[in-house]
Amino acid sequence: MTAEYAIETVDLVKRYPTSARRGRGWGFYGGQVTTFGGVLSIFRGIRGPFVEALRGVNLRVENGQIFGVLGPNGAGKTTLIKILCTLVIHDEGEAYVNGLDVRKKPIEVLKNLQAVLPESRGFNWRLTGRENLEFYASLYGLRDKEAKERIDYLLDFTGLTDRANDGYQRYSSGMQRKLLLCRALLRSTPIMLFDEPTVGLDPASAEEFRTLLHDRLARKEKKTILLSTHNLYEAQDMCDRIAILDRGKIVACDTPDNIRYTMFDEKVFEVTFIDAIYGDEHERMVDELEKMPGVHGVTPDVDPERNFIGISIRVNKSMDLSDILDVITKTGLKIRMINTEEPTLEDAFMAITGHPERRRTWGA
Amino acid sequence: MELPVELKQIIAFTKRDFFSWTTYRALMITQVVNIFIGVFSWGVGAAYVQRPVSEMYGSDYISFLLVGIAVGNLIMPLAQGFQALNPWTLETILMTGISTTVFVIGNVMWTYIFSIVTFIPYLIIGISFFHVKLNVNVPSTIVAFTVSAAILVGLAMISTGLRIVTKSTDPITWAINVLQNLFAGIAFPVIYLDTIFFPGASTISWFLPQTWVYHLCRLSMLTNPSLLDPSILIQFLEGSVFAVILLPVGYKVFQWGLNRSKREGTLGWY
Repeated sequence: MTAEYAIETVDLVKRYPTSARRGRGWGFYGGQVTTFGGVLSIFRGIRGPFVEALRGVNLRVENGQIFGVLGPNGAGKTTLIKILCTLVIHDEGEAYVNGLDVRKKPIEVLKNLQAVLPESRGFNWRLTGRENLEFYASLYGLRDKEAKERIDYLLDFTGLTDRANDGYQRYSSGMQRKLLLCRALLRSTPIMLFDEPTVGLDPASAEEFRTLLHDRLARKEKKTILLSTHNLYEAQDMCDRIAILDRGKIVACDTPDNIRYTMFDEKVFEVTFIDAIYGDEHERMVDELEKMPGVHGVTPDVDPERNFIGISIRVNKSMDLSDILDVITKTGLKIRMINTEEPTLEDAFMAITGHPERRRTWGA
Repeated sequence: MELPVELKQIIAFTKRDFFSWTTYRALMITQVVNIFIGVFSWGVGAAYVQRPVSEMYGSDYISFLLVGIAVGNLIMPLAQGFQALNPWTLETILMTGISTTVFVIGNVMWTYIFSIVTFIPYLIIGISFFHVKLNVNVPSTIVAFTVSAAILVGLAMISTGLRIVTKSTDPITWAINVLQNLFAGIAFPVIYLDTIFFPGASTISWFLPQTWVYHLCRLSMLTNPSLLDPSILIQFLEGSVFAVILLPVGYKVFQWGLNRSKREGTLGWY
């Protein structure tokens, strides 16, 4: 089945009942049924108060994209992923995987999508890596020959062949994560979901895992990948598009570069000088620069010996910088270096999710 | 020719649990030792009693008790198979898209096989050392075990469906287990209840599914009943009613528990 989008959500809403009532002696204390009221509470419908994990999420992920979902803790990233892989049922709105409604056709959805959830290991610690994969291959309904070939391929793909017959409990965190990936790839689905794929991994293992995802899964095997992450470097480095989720709502959705630049009205322009001593003419130059249209602020860098090291100027992001350079060079200053400081995705993320003051004053 | 996918999936569950069990060597040894100690301790205790159980099965007490204990060993592990279910595993297994039936049968199959393996030394020791006299009708024993398994799988699904929601013990299984000790006739024929309590008290027993599990197994192993005998057939049909009711109810309760847990987002919780 071909669909316009690999993943699409429309006004997706998910509310969770809070557990506040359970701690107030209503007979459902600490997850244990202690009274007849507790027994009845099992059969009643879901009760409030609620916390809204997702509040009208609209998302479209195109085929073959690496799509990142960023957000602070509690933003709703894991909920979104679990809805897509049918482990959580949403309350309102719609969610589609390759055009299939996740609520109405969960079995078909799971033939199009597999997820790697770090907390859902699902492996038997007493079995070897290979035995665990053989178990899941049977559950996926793979034929014996196909299963063996697929397992051999995936163990090689992830570099686990040499340790395939070791007990799972002997695996390092990185190896466990790779085995999770193997399991998710047993059934070759066109869409893969990753929830915090590199959390808990050391830098080298994380980089290796990112390369595996980006170069081999996405670019070579042309899979659509949706990943949630706290790691902004990871998102900027890997993703074709990202969505920033904050308190259950998507507050930005674009390419990483567009999100970086559209968030800020200004850029920072830095000029470094050769052998200059800060004098009156330079003070006048700073005044002149500050009065120029499009310049938001000027900060000279002068050391205690009055050496004029450089100057930092915040300007409109679309401003023509040649006017500024004219003002500087007419004072006779010799320029060693010119830099334009780029906003990072972290700057944009901070501005969007928790620090609105950074929206205008980035780089100050 | 390859086996059907569903059968291979159930075998996969069974293999996983068997391999896992064999790695717990201390547990493995103690379980095997428990079989022998268990049957001897019950046997010695019962040997002192040696009452006839002529009212229901025309048997001596030790034979009656041994079959009851052996059948009890078949019942308990079915619930235990689900108690050991790890919620993390649950999420991952559900993502494979396997059917509920395969999931349920797969999760209890190893414990059921182990229970049957346990059953054999009980019989051997009972016959060799305690002069247990069995009067087995093989076809009716097979039917009795099949009906019992269906009843127990139904109960296991109800238990699991509720436990997925409560994250702890479920009240229905707990209540049934408590009632079982008194009313299901594990250590005495249920007809004795009429003497102990009041006339007609044993009627309560026949509303408990476990009573039918014990009764059908004892009937088929102690009295050599023919399924062609209408009075016997009726008893098997009565027991089957529980299976016919409990299997779909269990399926519904399991699905309800699963969906409830998915709506609440607690599937992976303990």
